[in-house]
Amino acid sequence: MQYIGTLIKVLRNPYYSLLAALIAGFIFSMAVWLPSFQLIWIVSQTASLSESLSLLWSLYGAIGSNFSLVSAIYTILIAILFGMNIALLTYYIRKMRGGASGLRGTGLSSIGGLVSGVFGIGCAACGTFIFTSVLTLFGVGGILAYLPFGGEEFGFLGVGLLLYSLYTLTKKITDPLVCPI
Amino acid sequence: MEETKQTNQYLIPAAILIAGAFVAAALYFSSSTSVPVAIDAGNNQPAVAQQPEPTGSTDSVRPVTSEDHIKGSLDAPIKIVEYSDFECPFCKRFHDTMNEVMDKYGDSGEVAWVFRQFPLEQLHPVKAQAVAVASECAAEQGGNDTFWKFTDGYFDVTLTNNRTDIETVIPQLVKEAGLDQAAFQTCFESGKYDDHIAADIANAVETGGRGTPWSVMIGPDGTTYPINGAQPLAAVEQLISIAQKN
Repeated sequence: MQYIGTLIKVLRNPYYSLLAALIAGFIFSMAVWLPSFQLIWIVSQTASLSESLSLLWSLYGAIGSNFSLVSAIYTILIAILFGMNIALLTYYIRKMRGGASGLRGTGLSSIGGLVSGVFGIGCAACGTFIFTSVLTLFGVGGILAYLPFGGEEFGFLGVGLLLYSLYTLTKKITDPLVCPI
Repeated sequence: MEETKQTNQYLIPAAILIAGAFVAAALYFSSSTSVPVAIDAGNNQPAVAQQPEPTGSTDSVRPVTSEDHIKGSLDAPIKIVEYSDFECPFCKRFHDTMNEVMDKYGDSGEVAWVFRQFPLEQLHPVKAQAVAVASECAAEQGGNDTFWKFTDGYFDVTLTNNRTDIETVIPQLVKEAGLDQAAFQTCFESGKYDDHIAADIANAVETGGRGTPWSVMIGPDGTTYPINGAQPLAAVEQLISIAQKN
């Protein structure tokens, strides 16, 4: 509860809430636009700026049509949690507290969470998500058949890692500075 | 201590760079041409083994002819060629989206919808290929309209992800279409459409398709646009609007 209070306190600062929102928006946009990256590139070469922007805007609807309910939920969660992680990390570093080793672990959790989440993005059922591409690249695409959630495990793992990272960050911010015995 | 502070200062930029690198890698992988393994239900051999190396170019889309399953006019200036899997849940969603597109642009002859087979045997073993064969046999006996009646009917009732009871659903659709059931069964068991379906899969892969639904929109000037997955109606309409202006 104390840690949640710390989180709210940091995010009440407009600078950090804006940073969190921008990062979350960026991650969410990348996740939704990812399958259409080639299309966006082609359209940007031939259409006007306003038409390209209209296409980008319309592609946000893919969160409802091109994602399963579960993957849509963890994609949104990963974007929000990663944004909050970056905002808290920035807050922590600006306050110049703590040792590098602890922060390194927290940073790795954040990055691990994002990477894991990115691997889980897409249509697991139909082979269009990133992890399928990575596996088939290494010739082991069949492994998906043995994963109980068809690869969506990585999305869950991403949410878990980001939550852990958020917990350790708020703990470090909240805990008083003491000299260890 | 000074060194520790320096490490801290570089951690955020480093973390953002690493995250950016992974997102870039994800973009690369998503636009690369790795191929889903599809198995030919007829002989249990990997269908992709007989396919050409994918070029990943939408320009490789096979020209649309009267041999294709077309909803709308063959002369429509804009054609959306969809490579679909009957057991894919996202194909079911996109099928509805495309029907809405055709309701709006089909009657005026602005857009035609071409359906090609892309059963992902690895993900939907046996059933996806079986329904693809059934749809071809329905088309053989009843023509283009019967193909679409069968296809619309199947997507209406499919539970997707290999959960559909095809032993019940296919005969029901055949009966509703008024087809000769014995002739249908002979066609269904003959394996005569295996090569045709394999050719559709090969063309899907050649154009860059790595999953379903995968579509290529061909504009009036021949420009091709990839539509990856079940993109929303608004995006397809926006793309049609862009293609019309080119």
